[in-house]
Amino acid sequence: MTAKPDPFIHPITRLSICGLLAAGADWVEFAALRDAAGISDSVLSKQSVVLEDAGYVQVRKGAVGRRPRTWFRLTADGRQALQGHLAWLAQLEEAVSASTRDLQQARPLPGDRDQPRRVLPPLLGSS
Amino acid sequence: MRDAAGDPAALEPLERLRAQRSRLADRMRPPWWYLTGAAILYALVFASPFSSRYLPQSDYWAIVVAALAVACLLQWGLDRATGMKVGPRPLRVLRDGLFYYRPGRPARIAMMVVSLAAIVTEASLIRHGLLAAAIVVAALAVAAEVALQQAALRGIRQDLRGGGGAA
Repeated sequence: MTAKPDPFIHPITRLSICGLLAAGADWVEFAALRDAAGISDSVLSKQSVVLEDAGYVQVRKGAVGRRPRTWFRLTADGRQALQGHLAWLAQLEEAVSASTRDLQQARPLPGDRDQPRRVLPPLLGSS
Repeated sequence: MRDAAGDPAALEPLERLRAQRSRLADRMRPPWWYLTGAAILYALVFASPFSSRYLPQSDYWAIVVAALAVACLLQWGLDRATGMKVGPRPLRVLRDGLFYYRPGRPARIAMMVVSLAAIVTEASLIRHGLLAAAIVVAALAVAAEVALQQAALRGIRQDLRGGGGAA
């Protein structure tokens, strides 16, 4: 996997959509994705079309009774692009942490020594 | 696209994605009817040593079909209630084996062991005429299976939160 930014995934809304679809569910329903991403119906519709056209997301439409239901899933291409983008973001995160560390070591501020360093959980999946 | 190295604002998407995954994982909580349905399903499974001995062959197979129908209904209902299709899929199980799906695997292995042990024990107790003891074993096995089912779902939730991805 090559760590590189992906222009389709870079906008934060599309990163959220792809990141959520890659979290482990096979298919995710429209409302679940919208609520988890914290975006509106129209934004999700618009951005999912862009991702579908790019071949990153597969869309399945159906209905339960009269209520339409739309399900999304990440394609293999989408998963690969997301992994590369997340790896690039993780490198960025590491670079920012390192530069912050260097700055603090060079110029420790009063009280900084007692601050615990926050360790973030990994974002990259094992699949 | 600008190079954001050295810009702390570039980290915001990662933080945000972690929070969103956590929200998605929180949806994966079984409704009350799912656990009730699971208890009915396992009751049908652990009734099989009794039904194979005391009921006609046709009634035994009717119970097997009912158990399969309840299992399918539960999976369909959970998919609808949570808005996610998660967990081992039947076709992948046929292709990649019973335990291909990683999240919650220890709990699912334990469920299999409990099922086999309970059914063998029940059959043995029924053969020796200890019906009451066989019923107690079946009831304990149902409780254990429901608890293990919850543990398996907890494993799936943890995987969604960590972004582990389906196997």
